[in-house]
Amino acid sequence: MARRVQIQLVIVGLLLASQAAAQLNSSNILVSYSFDDGDLATGPDTFSVFAHAKGTVALSLTSHLSGYRSIEIRDVAGDGDFPELQGYFHRRDKGKLFLHFALMTAAPHEELNIALAGPEWFTLRKDGIGFWLKSQDGYLCQVSDSMPKKLFLLSPFVWYVVNVAYDIDRGTYDLAIDKEGQPKPIVSLSGQMNAPNQPGSVVDKFSFIGDKGEDTSNATYYVDDVVVGTDEAVVQLPFVAPGRRKLFIDYWNESQRRLRSQPGPLEVIELSDLGIRSREIQLLRDEGLWDLLLQLISGKKRRADIPRDLSAESSQLLQAVDFWKDACEAMTKGEAKAALSGFEKADQLIPSGKIYGMDAVLALAALGAWQEVDNRLGRIYSIWQGDLRFPVALAKIGLARQNLDEAEQWLREPAERVPDELGRSLLRRLRSGEIDENTLEALRNRFPDNWTDRIRDALIAEEYFFVLLWKNQTSEAQQFAERMLVRYQTLGIPSSKWLERLGDVLFLMNNFSGALERYDESLKEDSRNTGVLVKLSDVYFRLGDLEGERLYREKIYGKLSQE
Amino acid sequence: MFRSPFVSSPPHLVSLRLGRSNWIVTELLLLMAMTCLGVSVQAAPIETNTVQTLISQRKVDELKKLGPEVLPVMARLYESSNEADRTRIAETFYQLGWKSAEAKRVLMKDVHTQNQYLRLQVQWALGRVSNDVDVVEVLLSNMQNDANPLFRDKAACALAYDQIHLTEKQKVRLYQGLIQSLRDSKRDVRRIALLALSIQTGQTKNFNPDAPADQREASIREWEKWLEEYKSNL
Repeated sequence: MARRVQIQLVIVGLLLASQAAAQLNSSNILVSYSFDDGDLATGPDTFSVFAHAKGTVALSLTSHLSGYRSIEIRDVAGDGDFPELQGYFHRRDKGKLFLHFALMTAAPHEELNIALAGPEWFTLRKDGIGFWLKSQDGYLCQVSDSMPKKLFLLSPFVWYVVNVAYDIDRGTYDLAIDKEGQPKPIVSLSGQMNAPNQPGSVVDKFSFIGDKGEDTSNATYYVDDVVVGTDEAVVQLPFVAPGRRKLFIDYWNESQRRLRSQPGPLEVIELSDLGIRSREIQLLRDEGLWDLLLQLISGKKRRADIPRDLSAESSQLLQAVDFWKDACEAMTKGEAKAALSGFEKADQLIPSGKIYGMDAVLALAALGAWQEVDNRLGRIYSIWQGDLRFPVALAKIGLARQNLDEAEQWLREPAERVPDELGRSLLRRLRSGEIDENTLEALRNRFPDNWTDRIRDALIAEEYFFVLLWKNQTSEAQQFAERMLVRYQTLGIPSSKWLERLGDVLFLMNNFSGALERYDESLKEDSRNTGVLVKLSDVYFRLGDLEGERLYREKIYGKLSQE
Repeated sequence: MFRSPFVSSPPHLVSLRLGRSNWIVTELLLLMAMTCLGVSVQAAPIETNTVQTLISQRKVDELKKLGPEVLPVMARLYESSNEADRTRIAETFYQLGWKSAEAKRVLMKDVHTQNQYLRLQVQWALGRVSNDVDVVEVLLSNMQNDANPLFRDKAACALAYDQIHLTEKQKVRLYQGLIQSLRDSKRDVRRIALLALSIQTGQTKNFNPDAPADQREASIREWEKWLEEYKSNL
């Protein structure tokens, strides 16, 4: 009840403070915390608390603007970390956003930072920090147009109420700040450029911290009545469990699907993939360029490092690798158009590098250019037919087309052919995801006749499991995961990944006690797997054990308790 | 590209940590050192051999535990080492990120070396051991004038990412130099100067290093106007 009253007060404040403010009601509110009620669960849809050193983020009874509690953020210089309250809201990429909060500092000369930011997090760039307040030499400053601008000298133990009307499209904001006991705002600015002077800068989170990691601040300050609202009604899903509007496993499942539906470049397993065979290897060695080639492949060197005085053939080989490497990075960032251009340049320079053509096809798939995908696939089919990565590539294309049947069809046969033979430490490394040049070389030497089967195992099994899961073939997914688990355990290979997968499928089959058992086993094998921690939180929630739910959730998102 | 291990953590958890680290513009820095200051009176002198071993084994965390008193020892070691070892020590100065006049003094001696590996490590480390104006000056000069494009490029990298101790006021010289470099006759210098500026400020003012001179000049005037406003806000 107290919270609801506070929200009303804040809305009035917002309307008064900003000429641009639209009518706000509960459907326009993205976030509201007065810190008075008990429902302050941390989580991906509320906020995280970071307090891993001496600094703290705690509920405070001693200082508050409204109700009976606020948040106290206390930074300690030299403790190796900084405390933080980081909150999340529905991503906003257009329209107006209104931010309201109250702030009181005990030590004006100690640094504090408050920001609204987007998917590029707390960096000064588009989609990074949009709105930024910081204290500097006792002054509260706004960072606007990439420069700190003084607003006023902070007084200790005085509440300031900050209202921001942030215009996402224009990249500007209006700022009004009231000081406790003063009848008029002490700051009233309009049309301020946002922090990096970037129109259209997306926002989805806020943060309250001391210093930015320099570890020099001894700030203690209080925050109350945080509200984020919009100029249009927002449909938000209800909370399904503390701190989250979806279960962690659903977030995870969706993100896996999103990740795997975005075609990425195919794995290179031979230098010949790059058009580099024994003759080219000798040529590069003769010209003293072998190390440079390896460094270009690993990304340690770039185009600028390629010398000018080398043979035309070596130059083309190295430039192709460089274009390809850049394109791979672009693809990973979701810049499929730039990636396509890079792969095509590499392909033109070295047509015998078969990976270039295939990666270009995958970039086209990412762009949804299906006709061109089919045309080009037809052209390269003959050189790829029989390659163990070919079904993987086709499955990736199938997933990008949202065609799960097609993806499954390509993966089923090679996935079921995963060998049962006893392995060695090499297989352990391979199956643990350590696919690198050394492993591959050793693998080729150890298993000259069937080393490709091992690669297939590592590349295909998980992809196949997920496709089964997404086709709702949970029984088949469970059986497949159990088979993989038995194989791994027989071979003496760490099996935490497949234990987790079994837990996942059991959870989705509503067998929560079975899932709990598998997740526990997985965590015993690999205690660093934070993904299992949040899934355990889901399991305990489903089992009705709210203490267990909270314990595991707070291991990741932190906790808010009274000082 | 070799396949990395399958992601087992939800991406939002991964990015949570990434995002948090973005706030972190510097590492532990001097205050880790300050905690050591209290015990320094009674602490045993740091053995050169110990430091040498830790550097060669890349045990930066162990070096950090020794506190800032390790810096003069490292500087002395640097002066008596060959180029390969100096490269490694420079890299360690970079990783420590602690201000040190001694470190700056010895690193500056190699800021024009033609040894590629040493030069890059020195250029990167300088801004992490000092905020003196001559460090910014020498990096700006290398960025504009070095005969080797690689050294120019990496000097710009250092100016973009590694000037971690500069105050807002000290950044004026950095911005001035970068904006001035937008007028350079070499296209690559204009490009890397813009890149450093955009990393520092998040904006480009529509400067295009390949555009005709008059168009470039218009953007440069925007930058100069911006710098004047920046100075007026100090």
